[in-house]
Amino acid sequence: MPSTQTPPIAGTAIDPPGVRPDIDDAAIEVVTPQALHARLEALRGDGYTMLLDLGAVDYLERAPRFEVVYHLLKMPIAAATVAQVGTPARLRVRCGINEGDHLPTVSDLWKAADWAEREVFDLFGIIFDGHPDLRRIQMPHDWEGYPLRKDYPLRGPARERSPRPSFALKSNVQAGTPPTGRTLEALQEQIRTAKEADRPKAEREGFTAGEST
Amino acid sequence: MSSLSSTPLTPDIVSQDGNSMVLSMGPQHPSTHGVLQIMLEIEGESVVKADCEIGYLHTGIEKNMENLFWSHGQTNAERMDYLAPSSNALCYVLGVEKLLGITDRIPERAKHIRVMAAELTRLASHCVWLGTHAIDLGAISVFFYCFDLREHILDLSEATGGARMHPNYLRVGGVNGDLPSGYLESIERLIAKFPARIKDLRGLLQANPIFQDRTIDVGYLSPEEAVQWGVTGPALRGSGVAYDVRKAFPYTGYEQYDFDVPTRTEGDAYARFLVRLDEMEQSMRIIEQALEKLRVPGPYAIDDPKIFPVPKETIALSMEALIHHFKIVSEGFRVPPGDVYQSVEGPRGELGYYLVSNGENRPYRVRTRPPSLYNLQCLKSIAPGNLIADLVVMIGSLDPVFGEVDR
Amino acid sequence: MEIGPGQFLLARLDDVARWAQSSSVWPLTMGLACCAIEMMSVTSAEYDIARLGSEVFRSSPRQADLMIVSGRVAQKMAPVVKRLYDQMADPKWVISMGACASSGGVFDNYAVVQGVDTIIPVDVYVPGCPPTPDGLLYAVNLIQQQIREGGRGGILARA
Repeated sequence: MPSTQTPPIAGTAIDPPGVRPDIDDAAIEVVTPQALHARLEALRGDGYTMLLDLGAVDYLERAPRFEVVYHLLKMPIAAATVAQVGTPARLRVRCGINEGDHLPTVSDLWKAADWAEREVFDLFGIIFDGHPDLRRIQMPHDWEGYPLRKDYPLRGPARERSPRPSFALKSNVQAGTPPTGRTLEALQEQIRTAKEADRPKAEREGFTAGEST
Repeated sequence: MSSLSSTPLTPDIVSQDGNSMVLSMGPQHPSTHGVLQIMLEIEGESVVKADCEIGYLHTGIEKNMENLFWSHGQTNAERMDYLAPSSNALCYVLGVEKLLGITDRIPERAKHIRVMAAELTRLASHCVWLGTHAIDLGAISVFFYCFDLREHILDLSEATGGARMHPNYLRVGGVNGDLPSGYLESIERLIAKFPARIKDLRGLLQANPIFQDRTIDVGYLSPEEAVQWGVTGPALRGSGVAYDVRKAFPYTGYEQYDFDVPTRTEGDAYARFLVRLDEMEQSMRIIEQALEKLRVPGPYAIDDPKIFPVPKETIALSMEALIHHFKIVSEGFRVPPGDVYQSVEGPRGELGYYLVSNGENRPYRVRTRPPSLYNLQCLKSIAPGNLIADLVVMIGSLDPVFGEVDR
Repeated sequence: MEIGPGQFLLARLDDVARWAQSSSVWPLTMGLACCAIEMMSVTSAEYDIARLGSEVFRSSPRQADLMIVSGRVAQKMAPVVKRLYDQMADPKWVISMGACASSGGVFDNYAVVQGVDTIIPVDVYVPGCPPTPDGLLYAVNLIQQQIREGGRGGILARA
């Protein structure tokens, strides 16, 4: 399991959707927040009757920071057979937005956006103007912070790094050494000596004991 | 409802005229199919307004997955829709394979094993749906019949993946290992006993006047409403729109299979019930075809040691194998940057994953398109005007799973 | 020995009460997540918890004496679990079923309570993700043993 303390591998992309490989999963459009509502309304009139999903991504190092992604589907709205449904056209609309800016709601276009926008607000803090009932949906109502943002710690701000059982450190330090004896004291003694033996090397390499996974 | 609950009583759901009462149904309730709280405004027994409060099972799975290797993501994904774990795992691994660009290199046998796993998990999920839906209405025997059928499927899951419910059998690049000996014979036994069992279940409920009274014309969802609310799956097909991702956007070899997509036009709970029962029969049809295809031996995973671990036995013999295994276990594989939306037909509807990779060995973002969230939202428009007892039927017919709704 | 009219059977009240309690432990339907489905499997015909005395799962905490916390406890759900535990009448016991209820499980993050024993006292922990129904049956057996031996929730023991 990768530790959250390890640095990311060099050469990561800052704007992944901009460098995506050629995958045929949907047509993609990029719109600005100002043009968003009008464009989506035009698309709905064009036959994109179903809003499949509305989600957000936090690109911390990019400007604009957030991206709200709308997945649309051209679905017949009357009764239809499999042949009539065919392969509905899929469209992905991306809208980049800076922190603190608001987006217009699309819950007047598709009712499905109601809870989806509440969830984006709850987990990212993006406000949708015109939403009938924009309040938290997943987290408790008095929660502070927006958990899915990249600068929100995984374990939450209130919890310090949970203390790992010391045999996890042992396995990092002396892989493959079987525990000596079956008593807890013997195991603790082995862990203690392993930690002692490794301390100068760990400090030399810049790690602090107790902070690896 | 004071300090211990986190749901504030917003003014619009507390009635001013004194005739209505606000009742909190849930989050601990035998008939809400999980942790759902519905703030009901009721007049006597009829519902004036139904405001669902979710989030009681919010687990932060999406953020959790950002801290796991790509090859470990399906363990968390399986725990979202916990009634059909292999369906979530399938969607996730297909998405990752698309980003890696190895979709064409997945062997045929792996594809058919995945189809088999997906249909078995659909069958198992519908067993739980039917059992719990019926027991909410008082038909307790149906629960035992359904769970007995489910036990056979869980035994199969345990045989392949090691666990009954979250087998972690589907991996990026294929499946974890070949089918164990005796598996195909067990599938044959399942196929043999299924017709009698589905006949029992139909016989207990389909023409039962009490069941019909409770479900016919209850929870009517028109196709326009359904599409507006983003409803997919049996709930949409019960309203007449035959959208099934397996037919519209085939994946993992489904285009080679011959099956129907049952559809009804009545749009009520009874129609959804019939659609799901027919789907169980269609699943069995697919399983029969997959069984024949699986009699042909073949590789069960992609032959790429940088993505899928080599067989453990070769580690002692080959240095390259050892190094590849070490790299996969300690660092995982890196996925080229990009984003993809992958969807599958889960038992509840279109399950989708929007995966974003920034080139690392961990996902950058995993956004789930949860079918149950969108299915459950329509309760706001179909519940008012009905009795509380009808609300129970409606929730059962929509079949939500809260691991998926809340994630 | 012949039992005729006018004979007495003597036993300690404690033993009789514990025998009765341990033979009819009625769980509360506290199904949260995946473990709840295995809990439903344990009521099914294959595993059949009813033969151990748990004939019915009561939905009302007032009528239940065992709370099986089955599944991950989210932050929003924690006050609800505590309230339900408080509403249960004494004597009551708690089984923490599964890894998530026992310690947070695979979800070491902001949203999951790291072990339900941070909010309510637990008698038996069941490991597994989810535990097999056999594991839950063994846990109920351990609860019954605790009841018979007069543990924390016994009729007279209040420690």
